[in-house]
Amino acid sequence: MIKKVLAILMTLCLVLGLAACSSSGETAAPAATEAPAATEAADATEAPADSAATDDSASAEPVEISLWSFNIGSFTETSSWDSVIAAFNEVHPEITVTVNAINYQDGDQRLTTAISSGTGPDIIFEGPERIVGNYAREGLMADLSDLWTASGSDISEGISSLSQLDGTYYFFPISAAAHCMAINYEVFEAAGALQYIDEETRTWTTDDFVAAMAAVRDAIEAGTVSVAVPGIIYCGAQGGDQGTRALVNNLYSDYFVTEDGSSYNANSAKNVQALTLLQTMVNDGSLSANASFAASDELQAFANQTCAVSFCWNYSNYAQYAAQTQFTPFAMAFPSDDGVPELEMAGPYGFGVFDKGDAAKVEAAKTFVDFVCNDQTAGVEVVKATGFFPVHTDWGDVYAGDADAADRAPFALMSDYLGRSYALTGGWTEQRALWWPLLAEIMTTGADPQTAADNYVAQANANIG
Amino acid sequence: MAQNTDVATAAAAPRKAKKSQKPSGTSGMSRALVRRETISAYCFLLPSLVFFVGFVVVPMFICLFYSFLDYGLGGVAGFAGLDNYIQLFQDEVFHKGFMNTLLIVVVAVPTVTAFSLWVGSAIYKMHTIPRSFFRCVFYLPVVTGSVAVTVVWKWILHPYNGLLNQIAGTTGFDWLGNASTAIWFIILILFTTSIGQPIVLYVAALGNVDTSIIEAAQVDGATKLQVFWKIKWPAIMSTTLYVLVITTINSFQCFALIQLLTRGGPLNSTMTIMYQVYDTAYRLQDFGYANAIGVILAIIIAIFSAIQFKLAKTDN
Repeated sequence: MIKKVLAILMTLCLVLGLAACSSSGETAAPAATEAPAATEAADATEAPADSAATDDSASAEPVEISLWSFNIGSFTETSSWDSVIAAFNEVHPEITVTVNAINYQDGDQRLTTAISSGTGPDIIFEGPERIVGNYAREGLMADLSDLWTASGSDISEGISSLSQLDGTYYFFPISAAAHCMAINYEVFEAAGALQYIDEETRTWTTDDFVAAMAAVRDAIEAGTVSVAVPGIIYCGAQGGDQGTRALVNNLYSDYFVTEDGSSYNANSAKNVQALTLLQTMVNDGSLSANASFAASDELQAFANQTCAVSFCWNYSNYAQYAAQTQFTPFAMAFPSDDGVPELEMAGPYGFGVFDKGDAAKVEAAKTFVDFVCNDQTAGVEVVKATGFFPVHTDWGDVYAGDADAADRAPFALMSDYLGRSYALTGGWTEQRALWWPLLAEIMTTGADPQTAADNYVAQANANIG
Repeated sequence: MAQNTDVATAAAAPRKAKKSQKPSGTSGMSRALVRRETISAYCFLLPSLVFFVGFVVVPMFICLFYSFLDYGLGGVAGFAGLDNYIQLFQDEVFHKGFMNTLLIVVVAVPTVTAFSLWVGSAIYKMHTIPRSFFRCVFYLPVVTGSVAVTVVWKWILHPYNGLLNQIAGTTGFDWLGNASTAIWFIILILFTTSIGQPIVLYVAALGNVDTSIIEAAQVDGATKLQVFWKIKWPAIMSTTLYVLVITTINSFQCFALIQLLTRGGPLNSTMTIMYQVYDTAYRLQDFGYANAIGVILAIIIAIFSAIQFKLAKTDN
């Protein structure tokens, strides 16, 4: 009898478990299809976006929204947002914002788990690669076009194009900068390699780069400098790929994706020439390649003077490693054959709003985004915390007069070299995973660059859509 | 008809008597007491049973169910039938992961078991203090967190500042970045973190072998090898079986080391089935396919465990 009861209980558990799971699957699916409807509802009520919300704030229903923030700049802890949220709550006391600080190590895993189980955030603070490229493509994000209409007119065309998918804006940016590289100034000086760089414009040609790295290598062999290797091409893990990508693309002035965005371009004649040059430099010792090194390993090696250059530099990394460096990390643009670099964008960083079917939360989240990105006082504070530069051109130099303004100047200069952005190309996540094996194959196993690049492009294009 | 009823009643009587006598005959307890104790037993079992069903059995069925779906971050896109399984058999990364997983199991399981037995045999006769010392030493990597262990190994294997390269004079060589050496270091590190528990188990099992049988065999002229093989080995067979099954499952499910040290690279040379499940689910966000890989992994582990049980049974 008891066995029978137990068997019935177990069966019930199983059936309920399966039913619960299938229903969660069903709720996740409509999110993709219901997004426009929910957005329309939100649009209808919030046309006067911020003003209406402000006027009605005293009488409005209390709403609680959650913000998940990646560790961008000094936004490493929940408390980093305290002052911004306090300023927001002065205007909108009816909206409670809870913050969850996540990082790039396990942030994707946590987000994926939360989103797929229906417990994801209402707002995410990140870049368009995830917000537009991943989540909007899956139909998870709310339409932010009204915010753009109201206050996006002074944001550059490049950033605007990164914020939308099929004509609808899903991302609202606040700050951006350019990814660059850095050299150990003292090592270059001791090696006699400073002659190969233009210190004023912080640019160099491909020939200068080759000569400079050879000079550092010779200085290491002669014992003139104490670094172990001139530079390290890191071929492991996911982050920091923009560095090696920009290095390859700049050497002979080509692009990562074809002009029409229909194909990845690593196997073009110029890119293969660049890959071949790097392979030659690895073989002759003026560069090193490590398949077990991630960008963070390379940055650490640069900071502790194991290598003399870093291919993964920006102000955020400068600030992070400043305390460890006992030398001058001199920011440089990537070398190019014509001396005119085209750098990839760091960021832009900003906000996306998840549409989970609750119009009140979507509206509250958009009110928060609008406040943070367009209120100059709170916005400047957030921009400074990211360590980058405002996307609103009419905000001017937000760092003017700050104690560290001089440290930021080189990174402001790099913004002049911003080139095309590829982050919304189809199959971007998949190609990032393929990029590392491509580098490892060419740099550490001596594979033929053309064959390896052809193979990479074939696989990457399979997901380009 | 009445006769038939009598016959039936007569035949049923002893059965009834037997049935009612069984509990009181065997344990001297009344039926009511047996029922109460049975209910109590089930009550005690219930929490763990609910936990087991909720967190093991149900997820297993969910995993199986999802493996037949086209399921991504945006929700279920449709029924995939056997597509995920067909894709799996055409997936080169899965093939590589399968071979690497097999290599890890084939190398790690026998070496861990043999080494643990050897160390256990060497230390179980020692005095309490040295025995406890060695047990602690070998058990330390088990209680040390995976992150701490990998940080130490990363430092040992660092291409430029690592201890190994400093000693071997091979500065610059990337042990974890070389496709032919990385997997062997994963196995080595897995080995160091896997031997602790089997050693402790073997020390306990060998200590429980009846010494009078060993002494009798020695009096009869048995050699040390014969004593081990004919007396100790059968006595510790259940422990060996447990060690084999647990080590096999741990080897199949080797994940943390790979995630923290190589992320399946370089060139998928340390990719395992378990890591591919994670990578497919969380990086590529293809939950349906990840579940299909998980189902295949579970089947492989079940087959291996069944073979081990069968072999151990035959041996016994």
